[in-house]
Order: sequence, then C-alpha cells, then structure tokens
Amino acid sequence: MSTSTATLDWLLRLCPSDSGIDRKNLASLLAELACSVEPGLSKGIGIPSRDPRLEELRTLLFGGEIEVLSRLREVVENPEEFAAAVGRVLHGAIANASGDERLGPVLAPALERATQSSIRKDPGTLINVLYPLIVPAIRKSIGETVDETFQSLNETLKHSLSWRGLRWRWEAWRTGRSFAEVVLKHTLVYQVEHVFLIHRHTGLLIVHVAAKEATSQDPQLVSSMLAAIQDFVRDSFAGVRHQGLDTMQLGELRLWSEQGPFATLVAVIRGNPPETLHETLRAVLSRVHAERSRTLESFNGDSSGLGDIEAQLMECVALRQRAQLTTRRGFPWLVALIAGVVLLAAGVWGLRSWEDGRQWDRYISLLRTKPGIVITEVARHDGKFLVAGLRDPLAVDPRALLLGSKIDPKRVIANWASYQGLDPELVLERLRAQLQPPASVTLAVAGGRVVAQGTATPTWLARARGAGRLLPIGAPAFDLSGVRDVNDGPLSKLSDAIESRSIHFDYDEPLPPSGQSATLDQVAKELNELATLASSLGVRTRVTLTGHSDSTGRGTFNLSLSLARAEAVRALLKKRGVDPDLLAVRGAGPLEPLEVEASDAARSVNRRVSFTVGIGEQP
Amino acid sequence: MIDTVQRKICMLGGFSVGKTSLVKRYVESIFSDSYLTTVGVKIDKKVEQLPDRVVSLVLWDLAGEDDIGSLRMSYLRGSAGYVLVADRTRRSTLQMALSLRERVEADYGPMPFVLLMNKSDLKEQWAIDDAELEDLRHRGWWVRASSARTGEGVEDAFKDLAVRVTR
Repeated sequence: MSTSTATLDWLLRLCPSDSGIDRKNLASLLAELACSVEPGLSKGIGIPSRDPRLEELRTLLFGGEIEVLSRLREVVENPEEFAAAVGRVLHGAIANASGDERLGPVLAPALERATQSSIRKDPGTLINVLYPLIVPAIRKSIGETVDETFQSLNETLKHSLSWRGLRWRWEAWRTGRSFAEVVLKHTLVYQVEHVFLIHRHTGLLIVHVAAKEATSQDPQLVSSMLAAIQDFVRDSFAGVRHQGLDTMQLGELRLWSEQGPFATLVAVIRGNPPETLHETLRAVLSRVHAERSRTLESFNGDSSGLGDIEAQLMECVALRQRAQLTTRRGFPWLVALIAGVVLLAAGVWGLRSWEDGRQWDRYISLLRTKPGIVITEVARHDGKFLVAGLRDPLAVDPRALLLGSKIDPKRVIANWASYQGLDPELVLERLRAQLQPPASVTLAVAGGRVVAQGTATPTWLARARGAGRLLPIGAPAFDLSGVRDVNDGPLSKLSDAIESRSIHFDYDEPLPPSGQSATLDQVAKELNELATLASSLGVRTRVTLTGHSDSTGRGTFNLSLSLARAEAVRALLKKRGVDPDLLAVRGAGPLEPLEVEASDAARSVNRRVSFTVGIGEQP
Repeated sequence: MIDTVQRKICMLGGFSVGKTSLVKRYVESIFSDSYLTTVGVKIDKKVEQLPDRVVSLVLWDLAGEDDIGSLRMSYLRGSAGYVLVADRTRRSTLQMALSLRERVEADYGPMPFVLLMNKSDLKEQWAIDDAELEDLRHRGWWVRASSARTGEGVEDAFKDLAVRVTR
C-alpha cells in the first residue's frame, strides 16, 4: 500500500497550472475511493474512514456485479462448491485442450499415479481390459515358437544322417553351437525381396522398398490388393477384428504380414525363412510406430517426407541368408579316397568278424558232437568267445580241437566243469586206462556195448570181469565173451609137448650122447614155435631146463653134474637158434627122480634134462 | 519436385452397368477380373496429372451386384471419394446408384463422388433424359454422361474427382 500513498503525494505535488482540473478535489475523491477499498489508508492521508454516500453510490452503480462477485467468492472459497463447479466443466476443458500438445505431459504423472493405485486396488480391471489384446499376442508368440521348434526339428531330422549332416555335425562341434542351429543356418536360405508398409485404414501404400534384383507390379496396386484380401479374409472367416492374415505362401514365395495399430507391414520373402524373422519384422514395425505414430495415424496418401521410414524398411530388405557357395573343384578325390579306405577297412573288419563267427560256430558244433562234452552256454562279447559246460576228463581236449580252427585261443574263454560220462566211447577209454589190456586183447564199441576180443591170461580176465561188474548203472555193458584163456588152445598143447620131452645122458657124462641130437632138434623147433606163439598172444613164457643125475656118487657132485647137464642143453639149444633169454637152468641132482632106481635102466631114465613151461602176463 | 499423392476411390454400380469396361479401357490394371468374383474387389489405378501435383487414384472396383445387401461395405473404409456408375439405358441402375449412395453416406458420411451415366452413346435407348440429369445436378451432384465405348466423359470425371479429393 505504500505505493498507493506515494502516488497520492505525487498527484498533490504536481504543478496546479498544468490544466484546468481541480487537482485537490480530484485527489481527495481518489483518496476517498482508495479508502473505501482499503480502510487502513485513511490514517495516512487524513480522510474520514467511510463516507456513507460513497457506499450508496457503489450499491447503486455495481449492486448486481457485487452480488455476482460475492457469490463467485463463496464458490471459490468453499472447496466443495468449487470442486463441484470445476467438475461440471472439466471434461469440456480437457476436450478443448486435447489439441494442445502440453496437456499430455502435464496429465501424465497424475494419470500414472492414478493407474498405479487403481491396479493396486483391483488388478482384475486391468486384466479385463488387456485380456482381449494380450491373449492373441501371447497365442501368436507361442505358436511361432512351436513352429520354430518344429522347423528346427524337421530340418535336423532331415539332415542328421546324410553326408552333409555329418559335415554340419563337425561344424557344430567345432564352433560350439547346437547341431540344430547349424542345420538351420545352412538350410534356411531366404531373401526378403519386398517390404510394404500399408496404411490400415485406407489400404494405401505408405512406403515400399524392394531388394535390388527384385521385380514386382505396381506397388500401390499390390498393397491395396493385399489390404483388400486381408479385409476379405477377416470378413469372411472367424471375424477376429484385431487379427489378420499372417502368412500366405505361393511356391517359394511367402508373404508374411505383421499388424500394427495404424500400419501393416508385409514382407515378400523368397525361400525358406526362419520363424524368428517374424520377430525381426515386428520389431521394425513397432519402431516405426513408436517414432512416427502421428504421421501413420493421419496418413492421407501423401508419402513425401517418409525417408526415415524407408530407411527402417531397408533393414528388412537387407535380411537374407545366402546359400553356401559350393566350390566346384571337380570330383573330391581326397574325400572319396578317405571314404574308400574307411569303407574298405570297415568291410575287412566286417568280413573278418563274420568269418570269425563262422569259425566259432563250426568249432562249437564240432565240440557238441564230441562225447563227454556238454555245452551249456556260448556267447560272443567284446571280440571274445565264451563257452561253458561240462567235460569228462577223458573227453577230447577242447583246446587241442581249437588248434584245428583259425580262432586265436587267446580270444577264447572256456569254463568247464568235470563230470563222468557214460557214452560207450568214454567207458571204453576208461576201461582201457584201467585194465591196460595186453596186445592180444582188443577193446572196441559195438552195438552200444564195449566188446573185448582176443586171448588173455586168467589173471587179466579176472580183473576185467571185476571192472565190468563195477561199471555204474546205465553204463554200456562190458562184453568179455570174446576173450579166450591163453591156457586153452595151441599154447598149452605146445607147452605140453615140450614138457613131455627129455634129453638123456650117459653115466657121469655132462654132455648128451650124439643119439640125442634128433630130440634136441625137435625141442629147439618146438621152443621157437612157443616163443613165436607167446609173442603173438602177448603172453610171457619162460622154459626152465632142470638137470638131473642118478643117485650114485656123491651128492654135491651130482648137483653140479645136473646143473652142468642143464647148461649144456641150453648151449645146444642156443646153438639151434633158441633165444637163451627164454631158457632158465637149474640143477636138481638126484632129488627129483623120474623112477625109483632099482635097476640100471631106471638109473639111465633118471639121468636127464627135463623141460617146464611157465606162462605169465607180460610185464 | 511434384508431389505424388494417393487417394482411395471406390467404384460402385449395379450389375452390368459397364463399370468393368470403363476400368479396362481407361485405367492401369494388373489384376484379372476373377478377383471380382472371388474376393469381391479388384484394385486398379488411374493417375491424374493436376497442375500442382500428380494424383494416383487407387480404384477399388467393387463387385457390381443388384442386391445392395451383399455389398461388402468394409471395402469402402478409408475412401476419399467414389464413382457411381449407372446404365443410362436402364432406369433401375440409376435407382441402384441412388440407394448405393445413401448406403455409403449412412456408413461413412458425405464424401466427394461422381455419377457416371454410362452407355450415353446409345441415345435412342436412353431411359433417362438430360432434364432428369439436370435435376440431379441441381441437387449439387456431379453427374456426367459417359461412354466406355467412345470414352466420352470418362477422363473428365476422373480428373474432377482427383481435384475434389485432393482439395
């Protein structure tokens, strides 16, 4: 208020001769007016505080306005009324200001807080609002992921066993990427040839870019037709408002379209693109929307000044995956050679393995035919041959049999348990080992029995009969009926003949008289026959020459004389070709007379050499 | 550099009013007529050279049918204007054009259009005389007598429309 006082002073101090106005009067009127507005002023300038006339004048002049003002003041000062008043016009004010760019930023923080608190209070509202928008997007995204997985799986399966597949497997191993990734890299050959950005509302072309070598019809016509087809599909089927035709395929050309709020991006792709390309296209579309939302919304067919959008779309057109350049350097000899060597090695190995198997099978079937061998288990494992079973100790040795085949014995693991077999062959072997038959006896299997044939001593025969009786039940019979006792037959006849002979001597003579030569010759012949026969029968014989004397003369002399006579005969027989080892000598003196010496004739009979044949088993 | 702008224009008309013949002779076309029977629309283009700019009229030729209910109205979305075609020798086609116009205005509001009275070269077969056309003009309509055979009125009609939709 100090300013007002200063203005008043300044008015009073002004020169009174400037004009014809009564300054003092005017000043006091103004002062009064001022005081009526601000009563505190009256003290400073000495004017009565209130002039009732002035008040009256004011009521007369501004009565209506004062009433309005006071009502307004009431409204403004009462928060409830003021709020009600603003509320009545708020929507109108905002609607009017919506063209003003400053409104958005001003309201944003408050709206943000309001939204947050609303969501905190009841998230359901937001979910209900977003559900119809988000669910199709999620479904689409999951669908693409599944498609991508199948695509990857398909390609992986298709190429997993080919020569190329092996090469890619090697590449995957080398680069540390997954095999599927490498397969996709090589098989998904594609090129984005055209990209159309189409205004959704009018179907008009906003921007079109094409790869250098790509050709197409008038892009404006194409884009409108695409929009028309999208409309057609949307109208004709399903009727889902926010979704359109995602993909179209014609031979190796594919049309992939992504819908934005104001524009649709359609990419024309030649080849086999990965599903992930959808995402790339979508990213470009949303970037364009984010940067030029207003332009897209209000697009009216004027494409000038959209160079930046064109640049964004050029990124899409640059997307491609080229086929790997196959360098044609003729036939890959090195690869073929390596493959050949590998194949040959594999072939040799396979052949050997097959041949081994054949040999083994042959060996096993041979083993099975052998008596005393029972095979319970046969196997091949890690290049080793396994065989297990039962084996009679008298059966053929499986290892010896193995030598006949081409199998390395070191590769064979055999596990045999011992048992006693009852096969006739085994029983034969067992009897042979046990009885050790003489050469004159043959043992053989005939008609399921063990049959012995030939000649044997009574002792051996007794042993053999005992062994036959001890064979277990179920064993083949041991037939000894074909074995004759050596004592029956020519041997005994011959020995009887020899034993009936004697060589006679003259009195006191150690040598036989010449008249005995014929007898000696006869005996020598018979002894040789005996030796031959015994040998053929496998029996041992021994012929004892016993010298005798008569009882005349001294006893000791007679004993020496009788021994000398036996020695002399042995020498004479030896001279006649008889094996001296066959002959044994002894002197009996006069102790074993043939006749009682009652006469010279009887004494002459007792002076002799007699023969005793002994037959026994060969040692 | 002269600006090039595009505008979406729909071609509407009853059955066999000669719409397709107009399109065949006077506009650029890459799609076959079979689109009309399959998708129900065929896109063609008419480029008009105006003094200050070049206008590409992208023409959505909607399948002409006598049953107005079967018209796919969604194809009209975003149109800047439209061309109504009627056969001057058949009164019913004018009625059809009038009801088509009503239908369009009801759904999309008023927008520039031109009414082509086609087959105007067949003067002796006229079912609608000049006076009647004059009446329509008095209502503020842009009406032109046209002939796909002689080319009468066709170029002018497209040029008029190009000017009006780029104003």
